[in-house]
Amino acid sequence: MYTLRTWFNTLIIGPLAIVWLFVSGLLAAPFLLLFPDKTGRRVRRFVYLQSRGIMFFVRLCARKFTVRPLPHPSTPCIVVANHASALDLYTVSVLGFRHVLYITKGWVFKLPFFRFVMRGAGYVDAEKTPPEEMLALCKRGLENGCDIVLFPQGSRKNPQARFKSGAFYLAEMLQVPVIPVAISGTEEMLPSGSLCLHPANITLTTLPAVNAADFNGPVVHLEMARTVRKQIMDVVNKENVK
Amino acid sequence: MITREEIIRLTNEALKAEFELTDEQLVPTAHLQQDVGLDSLDAVDMVVVLEQKFGMTLRQGYDIRSIVTLNDLYDFIEKLAREAGK
Repeated sequence: MYTLRTWFNTLIIGPLAIVWLFVSGLLAAPFLLLFPDKTGRRVRRFVYLQSRGIMFFVRLCARKFTVRPLPHPSTPCIVVANHASALDLYTVSVLGFRHVLYITKGWVFKLPFFRFVMRGAGYVDAEKTPPEEMLALCKRGLENGCDIVLFPQGSRKNPQARFKSGAFYLAEMLQVPVIPVAISGTEEMLPSGSLCLHPANITLTTLPAVNAADFNGPVVHLEMARTVRKQIMDVVNKENVK
Repeated sequence: MITREEIIRLTNEALKAEFELTDEQLVPTAHLQQDVGLDSLDAVDMVVVLEQKFGMTLRQGYDIRSIVTLNDLYDFIEKLAREAGK
């Protein structure tokens, strides 16, 4: 439904958020280019600050904005979240994940401007990177203190889609905890394929860590994927009926 | 020796359980990507669940990417099962 608030969000706040993305990018670019670092830490820090800015605009668009974080585990971890909106990418910043390495689909690496940031930050192309190299890159990222962020549904088209097991395979192989994050309301605010920003109740919830060692099945990473999906979707579905 | 009917039944059973598919989607001519909706990352999981179901390795020595339809998948498993003497 298109309310007055939808038009205000879409015509005023949305463009302001885009201006923020470009202005912050233009201001940061000379510093990032003049003082490059091999690990991509500075670019990731910049992405974190940009994400916090975007989440400020999301707060302005929301009817209600609730964040339920948990303390960060003592070690770097793999963060997995459901994915139904382009806004989801920015949400982990408000849950206390500051230094993150995203693993995303290949098309994001082709976007103008974004591709420079993606490469500079050392983000990983899930489609082009062979499994052995993926493991090595993630291991290095974790050793550098990064949390690895994935959206195991792989696409925004079906909010209830199954979780692909790659993230959980990484967690099992690298022996790090998986932190499930439940995102609800972003799908209502900015659905896939839409340019309108609808007012919505946004709730971001961090769930307790899940470890591969807690599973006994024949294929641990598939079991983990099913369990974590259920945990996340239970929270999301509960929030959506509120 | 495992029959083709048995291969089809077990394959469909595994795919339905893991990917929440329906019988209507699992027709032999169905294109795995376009009709069944499995992408390249799903294919990795599909191989794992089928290996578990049939108790044999599907990944070694053959190009799994040449599998386009469900029928191709049944043929592929049948061929491997014959070679393994199952």
